Amino acid sequence: MLRDITIGQYLARDTAVHRLDPRTKIMSTMLFMLLLFLVRQLAGYVFLGVFTAAIVVLAGIPPRMLLRSIRSLAFILALTFLLQLFMTRGEPLFRLGPLVATREGLNMGTFMICRLTLLVVMTSLLTLTTSPIALTDGLEHLLRPFRRLGVPAHELAMMMTIALRFIPTLLEEADKIMKAQMARGADFRSGNLLRRARSLIPLLVPLFVSAFRRADELALAMEARCYRGGEGRTRMKQLAFAARDGIALTTVAVMFLGVLFLRGRP
Amino acid sequence: MVGFVRQRLPLKAVAEAGMLIALATVLSLIKVFTLPQGGSVTAASMVPILLFAVRWGPGPGVLAGAAYGLVQLWVEPFILHPAQVVLDYPLAFGLLGLSGLFPARPALGVMTAMAGRFLSHWLSGVIFFAAYAGDQHPMLYSAIYNGSYLLPELAVSAILVALIARALRPKVVRVA
Repeated sequence: MLRDITIGQYLARDTAVHRLDPRTKIMSTMLFMLLLFLVRQLAGYVFLGVFTAAIVVLAGIPPRMLLRSIRSLAFILALTFLLQLFMTRGEPLFRLGPLVATREGLNMGTFMICRLTLLVVMTSLLTLTTSPIALTDGLEHLLRPFRRLGVPAHELAMMMTIALRFIPTLLEEADKIMKAQMARGADFRSGNLLRRARSLIPLLVPLFVSAFRRADELALAMEARCYRGGEGRTRMKQLAFAARDGIALTTVAVMFLGVLFLRGRP
Repeated sequence: MVGFVRQRLPLKAVAEAGMLIALATVLSLIKVFTLPQGGSVTAASMVPILLFAVRWGPGPGVLAGAAYGLVQLWVEPFILHPAQVVLDYPLAFGLLGLSGLFPARPALGVMTAMAGRFLSHWLSGVIFFAAYAGDQHPMLYSAIYNGSYLLPELAVSAILVALIARALRPKVVRVA
C-alpha cells in the first residue's frame, strides 16, 4: 500500500550533469525557465529543445521517465491547446459547432505546448540528476546572501533535511498504523467526504503523538552532539565550484543573452 | 514569543518543524479522492503545519510552511510558470503559518491561514490562465479550478484540526 510509493525521482548516476554543483543546476534551471518565456519564434523553441535533448542524453536519463512527468500534465496541455486554438482571433481554419479554430490559435497553441513541455522536462531533469539533500544544501547556499534581510536560510534547510530524512520512516509508520486499525475494523475507504475525514482520526492521532516524540528525541540527540545552529558549522562535504560549473553557467548565460538580443529583431 | 524570525529559533522548534513537515508529506500521499485535472483532497496534509504555527507562533510557522512547500515542490512538482512556482509552493504553504497569528483564537488563525493559501493558489491560477488561455476571464477560471479541490480540502482540514487539537490537548499547548 503506502510502502510501495516512491517519492521524488532522483536517479543516481555518475555523469557530468550529475556531478555539477547543485547551485549551478538550480541557477541554470531558473535562467532556463525565464528563457522559455522570452522566446518568441518557433525556431527558438527548436533550439532550446535540441539543447534540452542534449542534456537528457548527457545525463543518461531514459526518455520514458520524462514522458511520465509530461503525462501528469496531459490535462493542462490539452486544455491550453484547445483554449488557444478556439479563443484566438484570426484567419479561420475550421469550425466545430459555434467554435472557430484559427491559424493564429494553432500557432499559439503549438507555442504553449512547446513551452510547457520544455519547462516540465527541464525541471524534471533537475530533480532527476540532483539528490534531495544536495538540492537542499544548494538552496541554503543560494539563500545565504539574504540572511541579512532576516531569511533564516540554515533553519529552512535544516527543517527540509530533517523532513526528507524522516519521510520514509513516517511513511512506514503510517502504513503500519493503518493496517493495525483496519485489523480492528477501521474503514478508511467508504462513506461521504465528512465520514472519511472523521475515520482518519484513529490514524492521525497516533501519528501526531509519535511525530512529537520523535522530534523531542531528535532535538536531544542533536544537542548531545553539540549542534548549535548554522553559525560556524563545519561540513564533511563542502560544496565547491569546478570548471564544469563555469562551462555550464556560461553556456546558459550566453543562450540567455542570445535570446535577449534576438528578441529585439522581427 | 519567538518573533518574526529575528531571534534564532530553538532547536526543538526546528526538529519539530522537520518532523511535522515529514508527517504532512506522508499525509499528502494519502488521497481521499483525486480529481482528473490534478487537484486532490488529501488526508489533512495541512494540519501538521497549522498545528505547528499555533504552537510556535506565526514567524516559525511561515518558515516551516515555506519549507513544506519546497518539499512538496520536490515530491509532486507541477510547474507551469516561474511566478506560479513561487505562489503555489513556498508562498501558498508558507501562508499556512498564519494560523499562529491570533494566540487567543486559534480557530480564527486557521481560517486566516486557509484564506491565505487559497488566495495564493488563486493568484497563481490567474497568472496561469492569463498566460496560457488568453485574456478570457482568468480570475473566474482560477476560482473555479482552485475552488474545485481546495474548498473540500479546506473543509476537511478545518474539521480535522479541531478534532486532533482536542485529542492532543495536553501536547498542543502554545510553546512560544
